[in-house]
Amino acid sequence: MSMLELRQVSKVYGHGAAEVRALRDVSLEVAPGTMLAVMGPSGSGKSTLLTIAGSLEEPSSGQVLVANQDLAVMSRNDKARLRRQLVGYVFQDFNLLPGLTAAENVSLPLELDGVRARKAREAGLRALDGLGLADRASNYPDQLSGGERQRVAIARAVVGDRQLLLADEPSGALDSGNAETVMRMIHAACRQGVAAVVVTHDAQLASWADRVVFIRDGRIVDQTAPAAGPESLLAQER
Amino acid sequence: MITLTRARTGTGNGGIAARRAVFRWGWRLFGREWRQQLLVLGLLTVAVAAAVWGVGVVSNAALSNPNAPTFGAAAAMAKLPGNDPKLAADVATIQRTWGPADVIENQNIATGTNQSVQLRAESPRGHFNAPLLGLVSGAYPAGAGQVALTSQVAALYGARVGGTWLAAGMTWRVTGIVQDPSNLSDEFALVAPGQVRHPSQVVILLGPAAANLAGSDATLPGVPAAALTTPNEMVSAFPQAVLVLVVEVVGLAFIGLLSVASFSVMAQRRLRALGMLSAIGATERNLRLVMIADGLVVGVVGALTGTALGLAAWVAYAPTLQRATDHVVDPANLPWWAIAIGAVFAIVTSVLASRNPAKAMAAVPVVAALSGRPSPPKAVRRSALLGVIAFAVGVAILARYGGLSGLPGGGGGPGSARSLLAGLVGVIVGILLLAPLGVSVLIVAARPRLPVAIRIALRDLVRYRSRSGAALAAVTFAMFLAMAICLVGSERTDNPLSPSVPNLSSNQLVVTAGRSPAPGMMMQLTSAQEASLSRRLDSLAVSLHARSAVPLESAAGLLQAGTSLNNNFGGSVYVATPQLLALYGIKTSQIAPRTDVLTAWSGLAGLSNMELTWQGGGVMDGSGGNGGDATPCAGSGCLANPAIETISSLPSGTSAPDTLITEYAVRKYHMQTRLSGWLIQAPAPLTASQIRAARQVTLAYQAPLEIMSGAAEFGEVADIGTAVGIIIALGVLAASVGLIRSETAQDLRTLTATGASTGTRRTITAATAAALGLLGAVLGLAFAVVGSLVSTHGRLSALFGNVPVADMLLLLFGLPLLAAAGGWLLAGREPAVISRQPLE
Repeated sequence: MSMLELRQVSKVYGHGAAEVRALRDVSLEVAPGTMLAVMGPSGSGKSTLLTIAGSLEEPSSGQVLVANQDLAVMSRNDKARLRRQLVGYVFQDFNLLPGLTAAENVSLPLELDGVRARKAREAGLRALDGLGLADRASNYPDQLSGGERQRVAIARAVVGDRQLLLADEPSGALDSGNAETVMRMIHAACRQGVAAVVVTHDAQLASWADRVVFIRDGRIVDQTAPAAGPESLLAQER
Repeated sequence: MITLTRARTGTGNGGIAARRAVFRWGWRLFGREWRQQLLVLGLLTVAVAAAVWGVGVVSNAALSNPNAPTFGAAAAMAKLPGNDPKLAADVATIQRTWGPADVIENQNIATGTNQSVQLRAESPRGHFNAPLLGLVSGAYPAGAGQVALTSQVAALYGARVGGTWLAAGMTWRVTGIVQDPSNLSDEFALVAPGQVRHPSQVVILLGPAAANLAGSDATLPGVPAAALTTPNEMVSAFPQAVLVLVVEVVGLAFIGLLSVASFSVMAQRRLRALGMLSAIGATERNLRLVMIADGLVVGVVGALTGTALGLAAWVAYAPTLQRATDHVVDPANLPWWAIAIGAVFAIVTSVLASRNPAKAMAAVPVVAALSGRPSPPKAVRRSALLGVIAFAVGVAILARYGGLSGLPGGGGGPGSARSLLAGLVGVIVGILLLAPLGVSVLIVAARPRLPVAIRIALRDLVRYRSRSGAALAAVTFAMFLAMAICLVGSERTDNPLSPSVPNLSSNQLVVTAGRSPAPGMMMQLTSAQEASLSRRLDSLAVSLHARSAVPLESAAGLLQAGTSLNNNFGGSVYVATPQLLALYGIKTSQIAPRTDVLTAWSGLAGLSNMELTWQGGGVMDGSGGNGGDATPCAGSGCLANPAIETISSLPSGTSAPDTLITEYAVRKYHMQTRLSGWLIQAPAPLTASQIRAARQVTLAYQAPLEIMSGAAEFGEVADIGTAVGIIIALGVLAASVGLIRSETAQDLRTLTATGASTGTRRTITAATAAALGLLGAVLGLAFAVVGSLVSTHGRLSALFGNVPVADMLLLLFGLPLLAAAGGWLLAGREPAVISRQPLE
């Protein structure tokens, strides 16, 4: 069973002379517990693939299934529920909500799903603790460093029982050290059964993935299982 | 190491937990961004504060019972002269027969000054005198030798509580300070009942049983010495606070329109954050709630702050109002229901204003929201159709219930206030929905030939039509109201046979030479009463620094023959006596020799088939004196086509005598004149105490007194409407143009980088303001013409016949010019990029 499946997905923006084909007949599958890296040049359609996979955009044609649910037959509210319960997002520019503390940002998806504030906060604190941010839980986003903000964003993306993590250049705004940490955390989430799709330019970071897909002009031009990354060395040591 | 938390116990559909979380975020955002909402917050606060203050003033400016200063709570009053030989017996008879009764004995005492002071004996625990007697400090006199003084009397004699007071041949111990709450100018010394030895007059306040006797006779059966009077002022059951609420609703409508623009900017600022919220699973309802919560918080804060400020202003102003009105003003005497409704209106306005931007932002696709791209403009066809319907319904309501016709004159009851409110709401909604269509017109005007700065300004207005549309609606509505006042007023004054004038001037009073023992009844005064009243009025005129009370004589009436309806001249026709002409500064030499009628109404002289009718005499046709087309008069005492001359020196726009029969006509046609009343014209507006003194004089004769009511003259109303309309429109433009330009700040930076000068930036802002102002004025005029035509069932020529041209030109062209000048002066500095969307 796959957590995410795209079947012959295409996406066209604009009409006539202004028409842009962002994706052309893209098909791929991501199984639970695996991490897929998507690479390609700017404008190749990587981010479009991610937004369509996460139900933020609708494809022009093709079929998208998340946890075997067809997004095409879902209402906007059903898609919102899907995002609350199954899909977590991590963006390059963190996208934390101003005015909410780190803990409140993390627990927000649970509260939106109807979890009582206290329980949601407990879950949020646990998620932050797991990412080493327990002592920063009461800080507002503008009081956190870039690396800390992205870790909070990851905590928000995995809090609850999210099963699909979509990350768009999650390390794009971070230095190499923090970038490495973020990838390690996403990888750790995958080890616990989460399926992850990570868009990145950085081949070094893509090496954390179980599989890498190359996109150019909206088409998958290649996909490969990457060489064993640093994590594999750790695994060997164990 | 990351730990997944799999304990999901939520409802899955959000519910209260989700709403609470979203509302909390909205509250936090308000805390962080309240400065960006200061405009809306300030406007709401000012509107609510003004409404609270206004409600306080209108509720306390006039006594709830205008008869209280004379009658207290009594239904009738009997007066017995002090020299009545059977005084004690008569008092006892009245008490026994028509009781319960409050007996008040008055004795005038000399003070050594021209101020009169009364020694007054009455019980402080009477049945009807509570509105006439109040204790300020100390205690009421309880027995012989005790007195309580009003503060003026105490000051006059240097007396104090606990001290003594020498008057009326006795030494009194002062027990307290008292006042007449309904008339603070009433100076008296209160003693216990029975302590006045030589009363000059005894007043007995009586209940409804005695009031039923009024009308048939002015005396009480069996007590011929007693003069009976009853209140003749109608006690209004219509709460004046409702009018303040109507004004507040109109004001809030403007603020609501501005708030829409402001909330749109806030929503735009939060677009990326809302996109993120949506990305993590918020529903559209959750997204809308963020903005609506913002509107709710702004509304509640504005309402609470405004109420607090308004109450503080009212409490501070109450003593001033008390001095001006001469009656006790209790700061706690407020219609709290009206204040509560006003606060709720403010909150509802803010919430409604935030609703549309919230809806628009919630509908933006998530990806577009995350990238901060604004949604494309909506098609306007549907909203335009709804706008036409809403406007038509609003005008129809105004037409059906005469709401718009009531604007200059005011008046009406709760029904007309409700219809005015409902009609105006319909018009506001219609204009709001039609405004985006109006903005779209600007794109047509943005021709390539125009200078680039003007083109940019016009195209930006179309691009940001959610902001400019709301601003245009507010400006259009301000112009609509101001122009409708001018047009409806013009229509109302267009018919010279039905001059619709509301009022006397504030320095005039007219006393009718008749007796009105009860509302709706009118009886003739005797010759002796007329002579006596005339003398009293002359004295009153002298005290008001007027020349004298000018007698008003009637001799004939005017009508237009051959018309089916309303063919009688609606105003009063008096004789042009030398005294009256002198009062108006008209010399006999100014009048054409064979003129029959002088009038201030320019249209009257041009009417055909006019007839002058009077009691007695023979039929005269126009050939007799004036030669015009003869229309046979129907009966005796009739002159066809009298010579009517328009005299500009006669007063216009008031109900003062403005149409006069010349003495030439009176003599020639042997008309019989009779005294109709008196006109007193003081050099300055009459004060409350002067009006009260006049009432006291006329009340003794039960003669009706006419003074200026609350309504203003048409010219004043038009001027005030124009000034207020322009000020509101300029305020709206200042706020909304600032918002629009701040949204385009990044474009402006690009423009500056390509070499645009300060002059270009100034031109863009000036053109933006001028375009909105001109479009608003043109649309306002169009709406006002349509609305006025429908609601008054009038003709186009009548609408513009007497229109105040200067006011209309000022509204149509002055506003855009002022807006352009203001925009030019206030622009130039590159604005800070406040449209940056915060997301961490």
